[in-house]
Amino acid sequence: MSLESSLFSHRWLPLLLAVPLMSLIVLFFYVPVFQAFYWSFFLEQPFGGGSQFVGLQNFERVLSDPEFWMSGWRTIVFMMTASSLAVVVPLMLAVAADRKIGMSLPARNILVWPKGIAGASIGVVFAFIFNPFVGIMAPLNTMFPGLWNPGIDGTDAFITLVAAHVWSGIPFNFVILLAGLRSIPHTMYQAAAMDGAGPWRRIFDVQLPLILPQLFLTFVLEFTESITSVFALIDTITEGGPGGSTTLLVYKIYVDGFSGYDLSGASTQTVLLMIFVVLLAACQFVFLGRRINYER
Amino acid sequence: MVENARSINIVASILLLIGVVYIVGPLYLTLSTASQSYEFMLRNGVAWYPGNQLFANMGKVITETRIPIQMLNSLLVAFFNALATCALSFLSAYAIVYFRVRWAGLVFALILVTIMLPLDIRVITTYQVASNIFSPLNAVLDVTGLNDVIASVFGTPAHLELSVLNTHFGLIAPLVAHGTGTFLFRQFFLTLPKDLLKAARMDGAGPIRFLFDILLPLSRTSVASLFVLTFLSGWTQYLWPLVGASTPDMQTAVVGLARLVPDADGQVPDFPMIMAGAVLVSLVPLTMIALLQRYLVQGLVLSEK
Repeated sequence: MSLESSLFSHRWLPLLLAVPLMSLIVLFFYVPVFQAFYWSFFLEQPFGGGSQFVGLQNFERVLSDPEFWMSGWRTIVFMMTASSLAVVVPLMLAVAADRKIGMSLPARNILVWPKGIAGASIGVVFAFIFNPFVGIMAPLNTMFPGLWNPGIDGTDAFITLVAAHVWSGIPFNFVILLAGLRSIPHTMYQAAAMDGAGPWRRIFDVQLPLILPQLFLTFVLEFTESITSVFALIDTITEGGPGGSTTLLVYKIYVDGFSGYDLSGASTQTVLLMIFVVLLAACQFVFLGRRINYER
Repeated sequence: MVENARSINIVASILLLIGVVYIVGPLYLTLSTASQSYEFMLRNGVAWYPGNQLFANMGKVITETRIPIQMLNSLLVAFFNALATCALSFLSAYAIVYFRVRWAGLVFALILVTIMLPLDIRVITTYQVASNIFSPLNAVLDVTGLNDVIASVFGTPAHLELSVLNTHFGLIAPLVAHGTGTFLFRQFFLTLPKDLLKAARMDGAGPIRFLFDILLPLSRTSVASLFVLTFLSGWTQYLWPLVGASTPDMQTAVVGLARLVPDADGQVPDFPMIMAGAVLVSLVPLTMIALLQRYLVQGLVLSEK
């Protein structure tokens, strides 16, 4: 009886409940993913001009293209710099906001605002603020000509992208890390203080180890996030320039597919990017699988 | 607190101050520049203090650009993305958790995979599917040889075509095809006591009754959190609405805002007007955050567990 009544045992009802979402997911997720793999083995003509099986030729073409490796490398550099900053900055803010100080409440409120501002909107704003002629760097530029020009200097453009990415990444990581910090029982601090650990020591020896799960999670989510959400920033701030120095893979796929009509090439790169992202996510599951759990 | 830690509190306050300035600074400069005239911006660049042209610039955005109708599109996309995500995820999580079905684990895994590969990565082929949502069906008919049968009976093979590009449905549906909601509800259902269902069944409640009279009222907060989260994500989408809508009247406000900036170099763009556009476009989501912050924070935390 107990097992019988612990779950419903209808045949068609659960199917009916799951079908709406599943059909959308099949149509707009699994079919596109399958099609990307399919196209990567065919030479697709644009405008439905027919297709021809070419085996691994698309992969040979993409993998022998230095542009692909350059944008792949830039993607990894961006992923490393932007996402570590997008975790470390919110981490410091969360540790600070966890203390009972006057700034804490208003900061907790204000730091989630960027969640409501689209990547493309803040991209438009940052493109203006860091504009070399009318932006905040303009006065410095007149004193030291050529100091700041993201339109010519690839590094400046890259820095602008990173600054914008960290800006929009603060809310999620801040909220997650702060929630982790707040779930640490107060007795932990008291015990550490009894053992003679000062306030600084307690940050590094109590707080940080105890929020390791949240820290890992934000890191790995941030990796995928930085690879994909950067599109809106690139398209509004640099358009891949100057000289391709901010053409990350997600932007190159868009340009190749929608401007160059190279569907096979774009699909092949999509497949390679998907494999990369899935491998990253696999690392996540390995980490979460043996989730670092401490007795609390 | 255990003891007084003045030095560390001062450092923490300074850190938070820097963080707040980093977040609010760009927003303030946006607002202050939006309230200055084009000539002022040409002379002085970024406006450090507000002027009195805010409504004039906003008026220019409203009368001279398509931003108003695009904001309506954004509202529709964000609202129905949130509504459909909440409803469909709730139902599928209910089917996975509360029914004894063998395929529950498989379906949940299939739904979870979508979280790994965001829409932005697979945009090329998603666009292709949206340009003819019957293309998978056509392919199945071709591969299974059914089309040969159809051709021999009707004289021509079946080839169905329906594009959802440049429609509201096409802008929304690919956003709903995502697993976060199902994940969130499943996690929430698993925290509810097991005896809930037993007690309800003893009182004679069937699955529909249990869903509406017990589960839904208990899940109010989770639903609200997911709604706020998906509304904001729908409003702030960029790449999909950029390719999924081809006419200005179907584009969303964020895409329209990005299009306000002229592509060609040369004359300095009308930044005060563009900043006024940015203010307008961000008004709805920011108001939502101000009013429903509790749910937003809860949603972010829930989506992580």
